[in-house]
Amino acid sequence: MYVAAKGGEEAIQQAERLYHDLKGKLTPEMVEQVEKGMPYLLDRIMGESSLYAPQLAALALAQAGGDTYEAVLILRAYRSTQPRLAYALPIDSNSMTVVRRISAAFKDIPGGQILGPTLDYSHRLLRLDVLDKELVAEDSGTAELQAADEPSPKQYPPVTDWQRTQKMLPELDSIENPEPADLPDLTREPIMFPTSRPHRLQALARADTGGLLALGYANMRGFGPVHPTVNEVRLSYARVQLKHPVTGTVFSVGNIRVSHAEVVQTTKASKDKVGLELGFCATFGWNEVKNIAGSMLDLAMDREDVHPAFTEEFVLYHTESVESSGFCIHLKLPHYVTFTSGMDAMKDAMMGVGMAQMPTSSKAFEKQDAKSPAPEADLETDEKVSPITAVESESETESEKEMS
Amino acid sequence: MQTLASLKKSSDAYSFGFLDAFAKRELRRKILKAVAIPGYQVPYASREMPIARGWGTGGLQATLALAGPSSKVKVIDQGSDDSVNAANLRRFIARMTGCDATRDTLECTILQSRHRCPEERLKRGQVLVLQVPDPETLRSVEPNMTRARLMHADQDYGLMWLKLYEQLVRFGRFVQGASYPSLVNGRYVMSPSPIPRWDVPTLHQAQHLTILSAGREKRIYAVPPFTRVEPLEFTDEFFQVEEQSDWTCDRTGQRYKFMNEIPETDGTARHEISDTGYADKLIQKKEGEAVTLGETYYDDNGTFYHDGFLKS
Repeated sequence: MYVAAKGGEEAIQQAERLYHDLKGKLTPEMVEQVEKGMPYLLDRIMGESSLYAPQLAALALAQAGGDTYEAVLILRAYRSTQPRLAYALPIDSNSMTVVRRISAAFKDIPGGQILGPTLDYSHRLLRLDVLDKELVAEDSGTAELQAADEPSPKQYPPVTDWQRTQKMLPELDSIENPEPADLPDLTREPIMFPTSRPHRLQALARADTGGLLALGYANMRGFGPVHPTVNEVRLSYARVQLKHPVTGTVFSVGNIRVSHAEVVQTTKASKDKVGLELGFCATFGWNEVKNIAGSMLDLAMDREDVHPAFTEEFVLYHTESVESSGFCIHLKLPHYVTFTSGMDAMKDAMMGVGMAQMPTSSKAFEKQDAKSPAPEADLETDEKVSPITAVESESETESEKEMS
Repeated sequence: MQTLASLKKSSDAYSFGFLDAFAKRELRRKILKAVAIPGYQVPYASREMPIARGWGTGGLQATLALAGPSSKVKVIDQGSDDSVNAANLRRFIARMTGCDATRDTLECTILQSRHRCPEERLKRGQVLVLQVPDPETLRSVEPNMTRARLMHADQDYGLMWLKLYEQLVRFGRFVQGASYPSLVNGRYVMSPSPIPRWDVPTLHQAQHLTILSAGREKRIYAVPPFTRVEPLEFTDEFFQVEEQSDWTCDRTGQRYKFMNEIPETDGTARHEISDTGYADKLIQKKEGEAVTLGETYYDDNGTFYHDGFLKS
């Protein structure tokens, strides 16, 4: 194999080495520590990668020095070429082992409010005592967990079941479980709009947590139509089951952490459409903030005449973590050709408004063919560089003169 | 003796060309569709690659779907083989395919490029793969992709013409820099990717196949050989390439090739040919080495090789 190695090639290899040198050595022990000690970070990474594999997520995180966008990219690139060996059976959300489920819509709900594991009501005090190894305070969360007198049930009826009996929500259409292999798969097909329901839910499930949060927050703060009530938030373990390809025996391949949220909002869209609307979001791992924001956006995206920032296309394109982060950092790449081209298109325009003092003696600037002195221009390159917006206001009058 | 282990093929961590067979099949089918409908943006799944999105993953997927063991690949960024990202992509392609790499435009079978076309004419059998950040040329007049798709279907380019007309009215000329909208085969307006205007005519009635692939945006489109690519212009106001006729390459003494402008500390600027593979060959030739220089799209007087295509 012949690869011409010149300056650029040597430089990038050394730059990568320097990065790893500063970051510290990647060891199996470190990966193990990340896997054991950072479950919620792993959950987030696995959700955004659409790959449930705690050990691989820990490896990706350790390898990327904790940079979450890098870690998600590494995992997704690994996932993208893995063969599909089998499709799991659909998981009935009623069959999952629920460790936490709360509803904000009612004081109490059938089955009860189950707080489960949460930091919601903790005092967010920095645990400085941990640094002082000899003095670990007793009330700092290390006290032993007390078992309840009676074990709580594993399953709970969904709040929406009760709401459906009360006619607050429309009955669900009865549909056959689709063949899993026939479900549209966002990772094997491009997203098109309006999306199918599976594509939308998949896009939300793998969306950037921070991205969904920002848009969800903007929506509920007042720029969107939705300020919902949390109908139910759940953290669960789901058993993944496969059917043996030969014997047809159903067997379990293990439990995964999943979470979902449902939000409701009263609707007065029309006389015959009064009641509750439901928004839904689910993801790998336990990630409540993502699910609440996502379910809120799920609702908002269904509205007509919604603010542009909450349309399906806007939300789902721009919360794609790998694409958004990748395109953002691509601005570090050289753009001098497009810049030259853009500046060339502006030359005449700039001469016309006395903006010739460019850091260059290029004669081409003197050759301008000033048909019209020109003000601000939307310089079209792929990155929309607009270097001379400053001349906008003062040149306005001149161009008006020219026009009349 | 044959054992199960000896019959088993050695398993590599990755397939030839990184992409699995399903991804390659999809890409090849979509490329065929793109070739069959020149300028039409074909949606494709676009797998995540081990390169950041927006860094050439679309071009990379097209290249990897096309490359075979005997391919010769050239990768450039801003015209330069040595640009760090071009070097990185070339390193990845070579690592995953074992293909030979070259810096000579005349030698390559696949030329993957970001933001430039080569100065030497590509020939029949060669493929130019352009990396595309934004495939939707209507984006600036219609950011909603669903609506833009409908506009293409209806061949409704009124807003695009209006945009160009407004530029004429306000600035006295087209102020579009790179990515100049161009009509392909008289049907679809496409973005030629952010190549400078200098490069756009080189796609017109070309001998080679051009594939434009946007990984992040998941669209692939193509200009087959000998297809019309006409930059949008009015009958009385013409498309114009960059005006660099007074610039002389500092390294080669050449004019009438697309130049980089390099600011100097004394307030002046010097210029050098952006196509480094070509410039290197010019220098080698001057030093008496045996190199083959190909015919260029623009001759030494700056005249484009298709007579009368560029109006003034």
